[in-house]
Amino acid sequence: MRFFSHQRPEIPIVDHIKPDGSQWTIKEKLWLGLSSGDYFKQFFRNPVNWLMIAIFVIGVPLIAQRYIYGLDAVTHGSDDYPWGLFLGFGLFGMVPLSASGFMLGTTCELFGRKDFHPIERLALLNGLLGYFFAVLFLEVDLGMWWRLPYPMFVSLGPAAVLFLVAWHVATYLSVQIAEVLPAFFEWIGWLKGKRVIRKMVLGLTIAGIILSTLHQGALGALFTYAPGKVHPLWFSSNFQWIHFFCSSIFAGLSMVIVSSTLIRNFAGWRCDDHFKNSLDDITVKLGKGCSLAMITYLVIKIVAVAHDQEWDYLLTGWGSYYMLELGIGVILPMFMFAFGVRNNSAGLVRFAAWIAVFGIIWNRLNTALVCFNWQLYQEIPHWKEVWITITIYSLYFLTYRFIVYRLPIVYEWKGEK
Amino acid sequence: MCTRKMYHLTMAMAVGSMLFWPQAGWSMDAADAPETVEINSLSKSYGGVHFDHAMHTGIASCEQCHHHTTGAEVTNSNCIRCHAKTGEEDSVSCKDCHSSDRFSKKDLLKLEDPKLYHIDKPGLKAAYHLNCVGCHQKAGGPTGCQDCHTITEAGEKMFQTGKFAPAPTAGSGHGGHSSH
Amino acid sequence: MKTTVSRRNFIKGGLAGTVAVTALKESSSQAATFEGYPDGMGVLVDLTRCVGCRSCEAACNQEQKLPPPEKPFDDFSVFDEMMHGQKRRTDETHYTVVNRYDVPGLEHPLFRKIQCNHCQEPACLTSCFVNAYTKTPEGAVIYNPNVCVGCRTCMIACPFYIPTFKYSSAFNPRIMKCIFCYDTRLKDGKPPACVEACPQEALTFGKRNDLIKIGRQRMVETPGKYEDHIYGEHEVGGTAWMYLSSVPFDKVGLDTHLPKEPILNFVKDFLGIVPMVLTIWPALFAGFHLLATRKDWLKNKNDDAHEEE
Repeated sequence: MRFFSHQRPEIPIVDHIKPDGSQWTIKEKLWLGLSSGDYFKQFFRNPVNWLMIAIFVIGVPLIAQRYIYGLDAVTHGSDDYPWGLFLGFGLFGMVPLSASGFMLGTTCELFGRKDFHPIERLALLNGLLGYFFAVLFLEVDLGMWWRLPYPMFVSLGPAAVLFLVAWHVATYLSVQIAEVLPAFFEWIGWLKGKRVIRKMVLGLTIAGIILSTLHQGALGALFTYAPGKVHPLWFSSNFQWIHFFCSSIFAGLSMVIVSSTLIRNFAGWRCDDHFKNSLDDITVKLGKGCSLAMITYLVIKIVAVAHDQEWDYLLTGWGSYYMLELGIGVILPMFMFAFGVRNNSAGLVRFAAWIAVFGIIWNRLNTALVCFNWQLYQEIPHWKEVWITITIYSLYFLTYRFIVYRLPIVYEWKGEK
Repeated sequence: MCTRKMYHLTMAMAVGSMLFWPQAGWSMDAADAPETVEINSLSKSYGGVHFDHAMHTGIASCEQCHHHTTGAEVTNSNCIRCHAKTGEEDSVSCKDCHSSDRFSKKDLLKLEDPKLYHIDKPGLKAAYHLNCVGCHQKAGGPTGCQDCHTITEAGEKMFQTGKFAPAPTAGSGHGGHSSH
Repeated sequence: MKTTVSRRNFIKGGLAGTVAVTALKESSSQAATFEGYPDGMGVLVDLTRCVGCRSCEAACNQEQKLPPPEKPFDDFSVFDEMMHGQKRRTDETHYTVVNRYDVPGLEHPLFRKIQCNHCQEPACLTSCFVNAYTKTPEGAVIYNPNVCVGCRTCMIACPFYIPTFKYSSAFNPRIMKCIFCYDTRLKDGKPPACVEACPQEALTFGKRNDLIKIGRQRMVETPGKYEDHIYGEHEVGGTAWMYLSSVPFDKVGLDTHLPKEPILNFVKDFLGIVPMVLTIWPALFAGFHLLATRKDWLKNKNDDAHEEE
């Protein structure tokens, strides 16, 4: 795209009207203003797309295999390990990384911090897609995936934690769609719809905080159903939900730092100057938020160990692993964030964000898989399970990129809005 | 009196095929007993047992199997509290005390009596097996199912063995710890 | 973009959000304590009586019309089968299994049957978000495959590792687990097939309350024979199936570290905060919003006032 945008001043599209005064059609907007030939030329010039194709060539048949022959054919899901990577990564990992939506929604709309505005839409989109794909991962994992609406409308078990997760994720997904819709309405030029959403924005944001607090916490609380199965160091009846909620704060912020970094570096043509110029400043401010959330999280983690008298466990092999996870996944990025903020180094904050994202996924995988059934044996996921997980994550990446390339997420719409 | 006892015993020994009873006394001894007993009132999966009573009287005392019912001196410190002087019972047959429809509604209803002491009396099938197997394990007697019983067709079907045995490839029971 | 919202709109939006969420979530924390039905039935498993004949397994297979086993039920080589270092467990073709335990110092091996223990306050039931599980007044924990979505949280929650999933089926998967022969027997007052098949009465069927008395009586009548504990009397809030053993229960593969309270109690900390968040958060964050944007609001008000002048 960089090549074309140098050649043709009218792209990337930022307005309804072409320089010659005619309107861009929706079809042209979808093709990014390129001819289909040019579009595919730029598509196949990108090595990332070749990697995607390679992943899909193997991944799509594997997904078909899962739906034709059952979970048994592609996963190591068993009666001892009911949950594998699809949920361990796809649900428990994706959801905290998508907390960005409610975090920045709150910051901008509720606290009136206009300085975060350039990144607000990206954070909302990051949230929406993360949740959407978490549900998609769930759809791969559910035995009777065609019954997804059952907990909502057919047979209700309202006393269960998962009921809360289901309702909240579903409601929050609608909230996030509503929050991202203005960008879509600007792009298609339907301003009435945007105004309607605009009136609801505060209600939506508050609903977002409530729903997020509860379902981020609820994902942790799901593991409190298995007090004997999750290793005591990763388990806390009292604090599990706070651990999950608190860590989702820096997870969401870190993810939006990572994603904005990638967009700035690899889709710079799409960002407007406002976004590019303010990004370093915003990144450092987000880093400050991360380091504060991390120190809070770290304290609560230690409080949980003290509360349940689990110091002895720290001296075991599991304890070393636990400290390794905290050391690399939390303490290291926490200090990097802090130094980055002090020295106003967006680069260091970005590096820390990468580690924090890895750390949070690691923590969720540990809770759901590695330290689950710690007294039995460790299950290693089937390679097909890994591949399907990567395939769906790639689909997430492609969808993310597709939207960022088109809708006014990292640029401001120049036309009527 | 004597005929009534005889009647009871006759009924009691319906499990037995050969029944003769020379005389009644306060305490029975082994010579009073039938030589062999066919234990087959419950046979379903397995055929009945041809029990050599005479042989067993040589290696076990009456009360080891018949508890206090034969009138022999009660030695168990728990039983003696009530049965020290109850003497010989009208019946010594297992099935007259041990229910053959254990756990039926009727049987369970009897447990409702708050003063009932024997709330834990095994059913007939268990009475046989607990008695026989318990001793056989200690004394080194045969303990396998088919050491005493012949398996019936219904039994082969239930155990899916013999002519009902699964084909070598049948079944997919890898379940819990499936390894692929 | 204008971020200041008029008070009226603000209240409308805030209320709408709160009402919607409260209405949806109202009942989620109403998890009352439940200690089981008074006349619930149960089974007392006496490990000292079990001889490992596998009659119960065979009877279960027949009664529940489960698929044929890999080996006949009179094949005792299954006791040596190990998977991932574990003895056999329930799976989609076995609602119950008997395992052999060679206990040091004991002449004879012990055998332990395992099946659903039909908890008084079952973790599977309380963790199920589509209400697929029911604890019947008769004591059984039964499962409704017609509403289950296959999330397998019940398998995560079950402290005894009992529910199993038909992973092999793509179009008709379901949870497979012992239902106490509810449909065919228990609801008519009859004992389950395994109990009826047991030659040794290692399985004693009766009212749970009576079984506890029976268990205690066995301990009294045969001093020293039994561990002074009925496994399941209090474990995870009590189970309908309970165990007597002559050796410590962990020697026969039963988890002796299980809590004495229902699994749900571990979740109540979280369930307790739900109403708090639902009620306090809207007001709290609305307050934050008013404070944070007060200057803007005053400024707008003054501007409006000037315009009117």
